[in-house]
Amino acid sequence: MSEGQVKSKFDVQTIETTGHDPWADFREVEKLSLEFTQQYRHSLGKYSKFFIELENKKFLATQCGKCEKVFAPPRPLCPDCLDITIWKELAGTGTLETYSVIHFSPGTNDDVRQLETPYVLAYVLLDGASTLFPHVLKTDLDSIEMGMKVKIEYTDEPVDHPIHLMHFVPLEDE
Amino acid sequence: MNQSKHAPVVVGVGTTKFASERPDGNIRDLMAEAVLDCMADADLENLKAVQHGLTSYESDHFNRQMTLGAVLHDQIGLTPLPNVRIEGGGATGALALRTAWAHIQSGLCDSILVYGCETNGKGISSKTANQLFALSADFDWEMMVGGTYTAFYAAMIRAHMKQYGTTEEQFAHVAARNRSNALLNPIAQRGMDVSIDDVMKSIPIAEPYKLLDCSLLSDGAAVVLLSTEDWARQHSPKFKDRPAVHFTGTGCGTDTMRLGDRYPDITNFRGKQAAAQQAYQMAGIKDPLQEIDVAELYDSYSGVEIQAVEDLGFVNHGEGGPRIAEGMFDLDGQLPANTSGGLMGRGAPVGATGIVQAIEIVEQLWGQVDERRQVANAKRGLTDTHAGVGTMCVVNIFERQD
Repeated sequence: MSEGQVKSKFDVQTIETTGHDPWADFREVEKLSLEFTQQYRHSLGKYSKFFIELENKKFLATQCGKCEKVFAPPRPLCPDCLDITIWKELAGTGTLETYSVIHFSPGTNDDVRQLETPYVLAYVLLDGASTLFPHVLKTDLDSIEMGMKVKIEYTDEPVDHPIHLMHFVPLEDE
Repeated sequence: MNQSKHAPVVVGVGTTKFASERPDGNIRDLMAEAVLDCMADADLENLKAVQHGLTSYESDHFNRQMTLGAVLHDQIGLTPLPNVRIEGGGATGALALRTAWAHIQSGLCDSILVYGCETNGKGISSKTANQLFALSADFDWEMMVGGTYTAFYAAMIRAHMKQYGTTEEQFAHVAARNRSNALLNPIAQRGMDVSIDDVMKSIPIAEPYKLLDCSLLSDGAAVVLLSTEDWARQHSPKFKDRPAVHFTGTGCGTDTMRLGDRYPDITNFRGKQAAAQQAYQMAGIKDPLQEIDVAELYDSYSGVEIQAVEDLGFVNHGEGGPRIAEGMFDLDGQLPANTSGGLMGRGAPVGATGIVQAIEIVEQLWGQVDERRQVANAKRGLTDTHAGVGTMCVVNIFERQD
């Protein structure tokens, strides 16, 4: 960092020009290093019951009373019928429909930063649900197979965002 | 939707050089550079006859500046003209052109300057850039679980691989070809001569996608001046000197925010299928593979091009991988795609991407690109652009009138 009067200044360069340069008079460029942070009071709205019940180790989906589709992640409003849904608890077992092994993560919050790369982002069809639920699948990378059975595991560790009260693990044979 | 006989014409086009960093200027400077390039292309001394502005940019975060529409409109001297700012995620530039089409067709104005830009390159760290891009995923359900856009696309192509037998080598072909095409494009950010083997051996980012399967973060700007044919004849001396290119079709389709909500349809882009059908109907296209001569496809990741050629109806579902690997969409293939180098090689400053795709098509139809990538006698071209994981898709069609 510069020691000068402009504390944020980290670079001034003169751009080299070749031949006819219409911008020849504008070839000094100064750069500042600036920070900008925000603090949100983030409402989970009508999805809140899902997150509150995760603390009780319960997994809630919602169901449309008209078309009977089961939404996991929950939707308060069925997009097909525009009918207000009702909460429905699922057992928490399901099938791996697709996934990716992530090697580089932007680490968007403390929970994600604690995930060691590589980690698995799994799309799971929970038993009784009509949609896929995305979350981390904690497993030996060599054992992953499309179509494998998985289950929700809850954690007692403190988390930043309540979605990290759960993740997926392989469903061991009984 | 009406099939207008009086579709808007392209009066002029302009771009900057695309780069991972343009140390000589910020976003305002890039915008000015592209506008001057457009004026030179259309042989206009000023923009006093233009009736409307349209700003195309995606993110307020990259420049820590809201209302960039007002800032840029002022920068390029368009006040007191009316202006509108368009945002449509990755499809922003294409949605901007579609919106401009409607402005002309409705009679709201006879001419409109569509100017787009983004500085996604090194103005912020790539980590911050990825965090900001992740904000365009569903925050509580996709982003907070450690999801990344590369991973969402990777999960999609893995489902495609399982359903149709698509292979990593097949999408590596796209990564190699588009980078090679970019070597022939002077505005391209990063043309490269890489083999399929090089792509396969590049480091994994979100499997099955590897580093060279991913597109670029770019700084750049692009401008298209659209008008009625009468306005073009009256105001651009250059208009009569080259074939008239009409903007004959536009379609827009959407899909659920989260990929998982589309189950079981997670291998392809339903919004793109809908957008293509609208655009084809408007432009009177029945057999897109036969009737389109050149296409710019949204290769945000290499496998996306495989999904796109299927969803745009060039080949049947499941045939995208094999046809691409056979070279059907190479420069010497039946329907050359991403002759510009695509998002992989030319670059993708988001608000400019859909516009610069259109510019490549228009210049192909004018016959004025580097002869090594010029498609012989190209009459009709298509751009395919989308946002999210195909959450918002726009297809635009341009046609040369001889």
